[in-house]
Amino acid sequence: MDRMNLLNLHLKNFRRHKETNLTFSNKLNFIVGANGAGKTTILESIYYLCTNKNFNTRTDNEAISFGEDNFEVEGTIKELTESKIRVYYSLTENKKFYFRNKKKISRSVDIIGSFPIVTLTPTDLSITKGFPSDRRKFIDSILSQASKTYLINLLDYNRTLKQRSSLLFLLKENNSEKSNDELEAWNEKLIQGGLYLIEKRQRFINDFKTFVEDSYIEIMESKETPEVIYSFLESDGKKTNNIEKKFRDLLKIKEDEEKRRIANLVGPHKDDFIFLIDNVDLKKYGSQGQHKTFQIALRFAEFFYLKQLTGKTPIFLLDDVFGKLDSKRAQKISNYLRKVGQAFITVTDLADFSFLDINNEDTIIKVNEGVVEYA
Amino acid sequence: MKIAEPLQIAIDEFSKLPSIGKKTAQRLAIHILKKGKDEVDSFVNAVKDLKTKLRFCSRCFNLSVGELCEICKSGKRDHTLICVVEEASDVIAIEKTNEFHGVYHVLGGVLSPLSGIGPDDLKIKELIKRFENEEFKEIILAINPDTEGETTILYLSKLLKPLGVKISRIARGLPVGGDLEFADEATIGRAVIGRIEI
Repeated sequence: MDRMNLLNLHLKNFRRHKETNLTFSNKLNFIVGANGAGKTTILESIYYLCTNKNFNTRTDNEAISFGEDNFEVEGTIKELTESKIRVYYSLTENKKFYFRNKKKISRSVDIIGSFPIVTLTPTDLSITKGFPSDRRKFIDSILSQASKTYLINLLDYNRTLKQRSSLLFLLKENNSEKSNDELEAWNEKLIQGGLYLIEKRQRFINDFKTFVEDSYIEIMESKETPEVIYSFLESDGKKTNNIEKKFRDLLKIKEDEEKRRIANLVGPHKDDFIFLIDNVDLKKYGSQGQHKTFQIALRFAEFFYLKQLTGKTPIFLLDDVFGKLDSKRAQKISNYLRKVGQAFITVTDLADFSFLDINNEDTIIKVNEGVVEYA
Repeated sequence: MKIAEPLQIAIDEFSKLPSIGKKTAQRLAIHILKKGKDEVDSFVNAVKDLKTKLRFCSRCFNLSVGELCEICKSGKRDHTLICVVEEASDVIAIEKTNEFHGVYHVLGGVLSPLSGIGPDDLKIKELIKRFENEEFKEIILAINPDTEGETTILYLSKLLKPLGVKISRIARGLPVGGDLEFADEATIGRAVIGRIEI
């Protein structure tokens, strides 16, 4: 199994970091500082290196230091050999450039998944508490990192949705009957692309379940059993034998409504994932603590799933995770982290976390108003 | 600084061309300015002739000098084998291979509601009409396998099925001389799904 480590990082004009150079441990890297010091910024920049995207779905121009017109993130990732990654964003051109070993790479499908990355941040609460779209995004991001084919099919499916809703609009405008042949062709395309996604998600959840169970036990050590159920085509998690027939039937049933509302109402873009603890719906009945534990278990499960499937050790970013946990749970997670490999962890004050059991293989980086020093 | 008007007009016209930006347009215009009159004349005529001497074949909508294109007129082609393509440039691409000896039909695009292109904007009715006067044994759909192309293939295959003709689509897969090891996963995936029996 290949190790994958981020060796160093160089930030220029990146939020509070005018010019920052860092080298990292291949174990745990603690990034310590007060709120607003620029801790999360370091995680954000690492996310850029691996995905060319912003991990909080903010826009690129927000990441530029005030008054500057470009930012730059550079880093070296070591697998068997070293790769130098450079992300450069120019505000004047509103363009971002991604280089791997000085070669420009422009297609996102050629970037995503090359260096798998897992993030655990406070926004993760939307995975268990938020909308179905938050959960689909979580699942799709794992699958896209695991399989380029999945990502390509997902992009194709999204394009199909766009085209189809545009056609539904035209149908309503022109009220013409003969365009039904055209809609039928787009239905076929929707079904083909949709069935692929459903099948892959189904297979994925089957595998992923055990990873979630393992992680949950590791953190909780109690007898609670977590479960993940995939709900597609309005199945609510019930078994569906003939998925294609179900898809076609639903499309028929919803046709009039789709035309009236000019909206794609049937397909995997409506899927949801249901989380259970001891057969009880987490979203409806879970306590705060259970939500938090589940979110953490999901991310660890993602980590170990990607590690097994891609054969690469993902980079793990943990943003402000220990803040809201009781010390017993925090200790469990910190022990669990030792099994991960390289991780980047932001904390406000190390004094509060004596249980973290920091040893001399780890690195502690103190951040203050965009200036870093090693402790 | 204000640029002399004729030069500015030339720059503007050049920059309307695909993949030509303002800077390249200016370089092209100045380059032409430096050329001899004969050279410029022959360039201008070449451009003009594109519009005056070329038209679309009335049968297959390929580019043509006369009413019918060279391929439709040819007695050496197999007129029972028809290949449906998006654009005339695809005819050129396939012709270069020397592997296809049938005739063509150029759709002039693919279905794309986002760009307002429906079946009536493509030469689909004309394709169906050809079945009245010509006898086809096989129809090959050589359309790009992207979202819109795939949907156009689905649309056409449903429309053509009742005509009782053999319908095929070009294979998706690995490039010749390509190393399986280095092909991208999606291409290999499709090649595996579209495998053929030997």
